[in-house]
Amino acid sequence: MIKFGPGNLRIPKFEKPVYCVAGGQTDYRKKYWEKNTSELCIEALRMAVEENDLKVDPEEFRRMVNWVVYSQFADHFGDQLLAAAKIHDYLGFDPLGNIEVKTGGATGGSSVLAAAQAVASGYANCVPVVGWERMDDVSTKVGNSYIASAACKDFESELGWMYTAYYALMAQRYQYENEVPRETLAQIACKNHEYAIYSPFSQNPGKYTIEDVLKNEMVSDPLSFLECCVMSVGAAVLILCDEETAYKLSDTPIKISAICGGSHTLRTADRRDMPILLLPNETEETYKDYKGKRRREWPGFSSFLAARMAAYLAYNMAGIKDPCEDLDLLETHDAFTISDIQTYEDIGLRPYGRGREFIESGDAYYEGRLPTNLSGGLIGTMHAVGATGIFQLVEILWQLQNKWAKFHANPEMWTRFGKKKPAEFRDLQLKNPKRGCAISHAGTGSHVTCAIFEKP
Amino acid sequence: MEWPTTALEVLSEKPLTVKNPKTWHHTHSYGGWGKFYQGLREKKILATRCTNPECAEKRLWLPPRCECPDCWHPMEWVEAPQTGTVYTFSTVTYPGELFKLPPGTPLISLEIEGVGTKLMSWMKEGKPSFGLPVKAVFNTDNPTHTILDLAWVPA
Ligand SMILES: [Zn+2]
Repeated sequence: MIKFGPGNLRIPKFEKPVYCVAGGQTDYRKKYWEKNTSELCIEALRMAVEENDLKVDPEEFRRMVNWVVYSQFADHFGDQLLAAAKIHDYLGFDPLGNIEVKTGGATGGSSVLAAAQAVASGYANCVPVVGWERMDDVSTKVGNSYIASAACKDFESELGWMYTAYYALMAQRYQYENEVPRETLAQIACKNHEYAIYSPFSQNPGKYTIEDVLKNEMVSDPLSFLECCVMSVGAAVLILCDEETAYKLSDTPIKISAICGGSHTLRTADRRDMPILLLPNETEETYKDYKGKRRREWPGFSSFLAARMAAYLAYNMAGIKDPCEDLDLLETHDAFTISDIQTYEDIGLRPYGRGREFIESGDAYYEGRLPTNLSGGLIGTMHAVGATGIFQLVEILWQLQNKWAKFHANPEMWTRFGKKKPAEFRDLQLKNPKRGCAISHAGTGSHVTCAIFEKP
Repeated sequence: MEWPTTALEVLSEKPLTVKNPKTWHHTHSYGGWGKFYQGLREKKILATRCTNPECAEKRLWLPPRCECPDCWHPMEWVEAPQTGTVYTFSTVTYPGELFKLPPGTPLISLEIEGVGTKLMSWMKEGKPSFGLPVKAVFNTDNPTHTILDLAWVPA
């Protein structure tokens, strides 16, 4: 679709307000043979119900649940079709209704969207969202092949069986059109690997220098290993409620002021030129000089229309005028360093072509204007795909509830996962943040959701 | 009844971890797109074009589609030019399992005159660069019956 009709850009609305009261997660590992998938999911659920200061005991909570949403990316990986039915049983939610959502890398975000729709419509008033991925059944090489079967198997997958390569094609073009120094990209990798040091949940923490990243081996140029997300095993859970239930359960519920989704062609190849869809902080004037000799089209290979659509709908739904001003923290789907810069532009942190300034200015850091991926993100902490979009929102929920330290600074949380709290630990709790945003992203931008959580 | 004679290989006792072998194949019909792969055997790049005179999209679709996504009308098959330019490229050093070419294969996306899309493909010879003119080559001797049967070399 290139031309929008009046119905296509309708701003979504909830008939009833939707809240989030609790979150939980496991730690994330490359290989997690110690626990089966049901054990991981119950661990994340128990953290959500038992460790989020809910005002009811677990037994009473179980009696309040009336719908469950499950989030798993790939049946290939788990090698168990209808896994949700099994998890649902093991979590003790039989015989309640449930649904499993699948939209690739954005499965987590889409699952939260589906749960929010259930609450907003009045269909349900207490909905756990349970996400996981089990990526350790197969070798990394086979895992990459499985992931690449989420590209077009007729015309793309055979070309490398490697998603990183499909991103690399976009990355090269973005570099050609916008000339981002490798050092700027390396900054994103360094930042997210470093923030992962302060998370007991993280899989790939590390203090790296720009030089380390520049010297790192290429997976598919220009993307090096340190600039790519991890492959993980783990689970994450969020609890969504209507207003009455939210306040019955919690003294600090967080409101979901928007969660919206956009899409674009599975194949990057099929993306045709169109006018830029403007966000509230942009005008025609913003882009009068955008097109030139190198930047000949939009979204081309440099931008994600799906992310732009999701942000357009969510910002208008939540009343966001300028994301850098109106948001206090952000979690992006940093699958790769360059795709992170592309996303900064799609969601209006900087105009198209100037995404690099968001990281170069310091805005994206803990100390900056819009701290981004304090969780460690996908590069530093996890990408257990079905859990990813949920993990991002768990981290945002805890920040907005001022509970980040409870889940990250407590030495017991580290020993629980067989780790030791590092001596160089930093407290990344933000000072009274009010509004957070998370971007969940699939394919080379086939599905994207944008969620806005805020203190009521 | 006897006990089964094939056993799962044990990878670890604590926790008990076993290997589940899988050795079957999937059948895959290209359906209406099959013509494209058959065209490659005759050194033709077959694309499609919308037959609806009212449709605004006049350009060719490559990869081909059987129906126009803009108006849902049927498409007609048209031979696409066999020259183009490199729109973007990457050398894949760590491909995934099943890749039929060696690590280090340069992947490219192409711009072709009159085609509205940017086909993903690979370069059989030469080094890709932005805007590099390339021409098509075809794997007709031992075709794989996949998209790999089409490749490009400097023009
Ligand atoms: Zn048409």
